[in-house]
Amino acid sequence: MSEVHANGLRFHVQRLGPPADRPTLRTPVVFLHGLVLDNLSSFYYTLAAPIARAGSEVVLYDQRGHGRTERPRTGYDPDTAVADLAALLKACDVPTPVHLVGNSFGGLIALHAARTRPDLVASLVLIEGQCLDLRTDAEPTGTEPTEAEPYAGGWVEEMANTLNLAALGLEAHPGPERLPTGPARKAARLRAGADALLNGTTLIEDVTLLRAPTEPELVDLACPVLAIYGELSELAPPAGRLSELLANCTLTVLPGVAHTVLREATAPVLGALLDWLVRHEPAGTRSGVGR
Amino acid sequence: MSADPHADRILAEVAGMLAEIVGEELLIAAEITPDSGFDDDLALESIEFVALAGRLQEHYGDRVDFIAFLADLEIEEIMAMTVGRLVDHIAARTRTEALDGAR
Repeated sequence: MSEVHANGLRFHVQRLGPPADRPTLRTPVVFLHGLVLDNLSSFYYTLAAPIARAGSEVVLYDQRGHGRTERPRTGYDPDTAVADLAALLKACDVPTPVHLVGNSFGGLIALHAARTRPDLVASLVLIEGQCLDLRTDAEPTGTEPTEAEPYAGGWVEEMANTLNLAALGLEAHPGPERLPTGPARKAARLRAGADALLNGTTLIEDVTLLRAPTEPELVDLACPVLAIYGELSELAPPAGRLSELLANCTLTVLPGVAHTVLREATAPVLGALLDWLVRHEPAGTRSGVGR
Repeated sequence: MSADPHADRILAEVAGMLAEIVGEELLIAAEITPDSGFDDDLALESIEFVALAGRLQEHYGDRVDFIAFLADLEIEEIMAMTVGRLVDHIAARTRTEALDGAR
């Protein structure tokens, strides 16, 4: 059942179950991928299978407009993303609360879910997820941004600028009318998908209007949070602040990597996640063999 | 075609699934043989391979233990795989059953 209808949309969903002979962790793990060029495959090829094999029920889906899920014109804001998540879990009969694992923008959605639908979330795992916007939160310094501060506008503005540039580039250089065959096909399809999403939906508008969560909004976050960030990432300082702010946050900073930790540091991310899942299973809920 | 009707049947099933996932354009563009590489020859997107894996799991069930098969491979190895390697894995896992059924 890889097609699921939820919140008025057809979603591409993949579910992986634990082997029958493994003790099963009861809390399901749901993965939320990043923006535009990303889809569930980045988790499917990295964390999903080992996590399922270690005993968890795994749910992956392509978010609206991404991968093989339908691409409506609107609804690319975090509120709708959380509504999609809630409807999808219900449609799939996934028992809640779940561990939410979000990569990049998927982390922001996971964080938004924990704030607005705490009933759905047992714990959060943020892999390079956007969280606080330090520049927006900080008092104005009165100084102009320097070259040493490339993200002076904060990550919301930076992300909106990047997407706008990509959209203009795609519009200015239209692809072939007919998709090529052979090796060129894959690049052409990726390009066409990004073009349709950036120039054919409200995604950029929705991201531009986005407001990063503020410190007072996050301070009461009840669920445990595992924050995994790259040492060289621009998001490492906000993650550091997040871990200071939250009562129950474990920060893991991976040396030598930037934003692409999932791809470039898969093994340590997997190790941290496996350990986290076992330690955050509610007491007394581990069953014996099978279910 | 090889001298192995069991593997030939699985190859045909995999080719049919690929056509459903990618569209008929794939069949026009390339003949699907055991030597076809998912990346090099068929230019399959990562997400299309995921869709194929999902269908294989649905179709052949836990016998093929696709999760364990994929968990042992790096993404580069998965994309560099040939149709034949995938077919061989499924054939090996389902052969006893096919023989049982033929008796």
